[in-house]
Amino acid sequence: MSTVTQHNHPDTPENAAGTADVIALERAEIRSWKAPVAFAIFTVIGILLFIVIGRDGISTFRLSTGSDVIQLPTIPFPARATGVVIVILLAAITAWSFTLSRAAKATPLWAIAVFGFLFVVGFLVWASAGSTLPVAGLLIGTLGISVPLIFGALGGVISERVGVVNVAIEGQLLAGAFVSAVVASITQMPLLGLLAAMVAGMLVSFVLAAFSIRYLVDQVIVGVVLNVLVTGLTGFLFSQVLSANPTLLNSPPRLERINIPVLSEIPVLGPVLFRQTIIVYVMYFTIAAVYIGLFHTRWGLRLRSVGEHPQAADTVGINVTGTRFWNVSLAGAIAGFGGAYLTLGAVGAFNKEMTAGAGFIALAAVIFGRWDPIRATLAALLFGFATNLQNVLSIIGSPVPSEFMLMLPYIVTIVAVAGLVGRVRGPAAAGKPYIKS
Amino acid sequence: MRNRTRKAAFAGLAIASVGVLLAGCSAAPEEEEGGEAATSDFLPCMVSDTGGFDDRSFNQLGFEGLQDGAEAVGSEYTEVESTSDADYGPNIDNLIAQDCNLVVTVGFNLAAATVEGATANPDVNWSIIDDTADLDFDGATDAENIKPIVFDTAQAAFLAGYASASYSTSGIVGTYGGQNFPTVSVFMDGFAQGVDYHNEQNGTDVSVLGWDREAADGTFIGTFEAGTESLSAATNLIDQGADVIFPVGGPIYQSAGQAITDANAANPDAGIVLIGADADLFESDPTFEDLYFTSVLKGMKVAVAEVVEGAGNDEFDNTPYLGTLENEGVGIAPFHNYEDQVADTLQGELDEITASIISGDIVVESYLAE
Repeated sequence: MSTVTQHNHPDTPENAAGTADVIALERAEIRSWKAPVAFAIFTVIGILLFIVIGRDGISTFRLSTGSDVIQLPTIPFPARATGVVIVILLAAITAWSFTLSRAAKATPLWAIAVFGFLFVVGFLVWASAGSTLPVAGLLIGTLGISVPLIFGALGGVISERVGVVNVAIEGQLLAGAFVSAVVASITQMPLLGLLAAMVAGMLVSFVLAAFSIRYLVDQVIVGVVLNVLVTGLTGFLFSQVLSANPTLLNSPPRLERINIPVLSEIPVLGPVLFRQTIIVYVMYFTIAAVYIGLFHTRWGLRLRSVGEHPQAADTVGINVTGTRFWNVSLAGAIAGFGGAYLTLGAVGAFNKEMTAGAGFIALAAVIFGRWDPIRATLAALLFGFATNLQNVLSIIGSPVPSEFMLMLPYIVTIVAVAGLVGRVRGPAAAGKPYIKS
Repeated sequence: MRNRTRKAAFAGLAIASVGVLLAGCSAAPEEEEGGEAATSDFLPCMVSDTGGFDDRSFNQLGFEGLQDGAEAVGSEYTEVESTSDADYGPNIDNLIAQDCNLVVTVGFNLAAATVEGATANPDVNWSIIDDTADLDFDGATDAENIKPIVFDTAQAAFLAGYASASYSTSGIVGTYGGQNFPTVSVFMDGFAQGVDYHNEQNGTDVSVLGWDREAADGTFIGTFEAGTESLSAATNLIDQGADVIFPVGGPIYQSAGQAITDANAANPDAGIVLIGADADLFESDPTFEDLYFTSVLKGMKVAVAEVVEGAGNDEFDNTPYLGTLENEGVGIAPFHNYEDQVADTLQGELDEITASIISGDIVVESYLAE
């Protein structure tokens, strides 16, 4: 990255008007080569993968699921020819991006999106040469894996925006999964389980809030300790109590999938978005609510002010401690609700450590998403997509070794964080206890 | 004052966490009475891997074997669970400190810790499940006081693969594993060989998804937890038309069961079934009893019980135990609810194949077969 300060030519009409304008006309230009260089690297990868070691055969994309009313035809792609076309397009975008950077203009976001989309399509065609790729199934699985991550990330966004670093997302998810399974199993009412999951997540948050806000303990350390505590506690109860009587305590009824009329028949998107359990519909609502709430309501303004500059907030009469406490609790309730998806929405019974690190990925999504609920959701979806992609590709017989494929979600996340996000700035007061002086 | 409260409160939280962690998952081994009063100094002990003794799979089976063996010789026993890979060494040391004279370690992840413990404690007898404790790959166990217990599960999975190919109406069967470990892939490989054999013998064209014999690689979800990864792996297999699903790796079958339940509900004619690994899931976890086609059995319980009993009677030896169809160390479970849905001739064919594998007429390849 190079910063070029350009002085305007002295004989432009504006300068002729008066010397006072000269300072205003000085322009700092940032010439960023990050986008074109990244494009170039991916174009080279594309040339190597799609052309040099290209694969022959037809790759068929199946867009509809078997139970759709509107059946879309499958789309056949001749693997090598598609690869060549895509590489040409990638090269064109790269060249264009270089000229933009030379002219000190930023590459627009849509160009990055188009480039990414083309590369992914190229990769899919290459990897599935000679077989059928179930596009709808790929996307359905993506959402399924992403749901707990999205809830966790939303909880993380709220908590960090109000100034408390939330490392305990993993613990909140796990507590939600455990309590929802037990409550739903005893009462045989899954909705009650959802409620209990929120309470459980909230209780974990209470501990986090109490120690970090009241007792000013380092928030990261409390979060880590809480994760260990919840893992140990649920593991202990699972081994000692749930395993003794699984029929009563650990066989919750699962939530039914609800097909939304009309919407669920939209080709491709219908089965993915609108044939889900109530948890997923609540998720859509929560994403919107958190976004609007944070950026367009008084609650959100107060919350962010407490996270950015608690002293200023205090000066104008906002109760910093109270705001932090209740919003951290809210964050816990959201994450706990997401944990219920693991049991009531997906697997049914509770399993020891069943979150398997989802909370930490959610934490990464918060940062990758720059503490913005929509971006964090997209980050979680990206991780879910990469995870399910490696799975689908290994089933249809991709030429990439499984160990490498298992790294794919993490590589994608690292590349995305490093390449697309770069330097990020979180809420200024996150992680710092507020001491009223 | 405030500072002191804070410290005290935080210390309380930290202690509570550690306490719960220890109580729940490691250390604090319980000593339990055997069937009768202890008659000797013999104390068999067991260390689990991170799956824990309630995994409804190989840790649990091994532990039941320990209980049975201890009961048979009338001794007490001690077990300890590991919550992370870092626990293996300390857990083994704790058991040695409690005067255990037979230590059974469960899983090949414990191989290094077991060899280390065995070398340091030559007067203690050791046994390891699912590994030959041959870290230097010279073809022999690294310490003379270790008895490896291994199972050639490919033989049993071969039978399950043959039966699946016979059952499948879609002509596609699928398998996936937790991680690409030899003890996992041996199931998948044997399964694929069984399907191939069915194709050869009956002129069928059943294909296996999730395992590629030539590449020795397949579909792995990267975890041994039943979560969303396992669910989507099973769903993806079903999307590709598989009507027999064989998940290998502890509790991951639970997610597969849910995926199959959903798919069968959406399409009642699909008739998708599940195959269990290690234990007969029909007995150990009846949640999905309508889905279990069969299970590939690994006779860990019996094998461990025999080793414990032998050691208790001062008859410990270090000859590796290899479970095969011949010694009934491996096998397949009955079809249970699917008894009347399989071809009438299938059981007869399976019996013949079993005999041929034992006699060596059919060679099932695996990393354990000579």
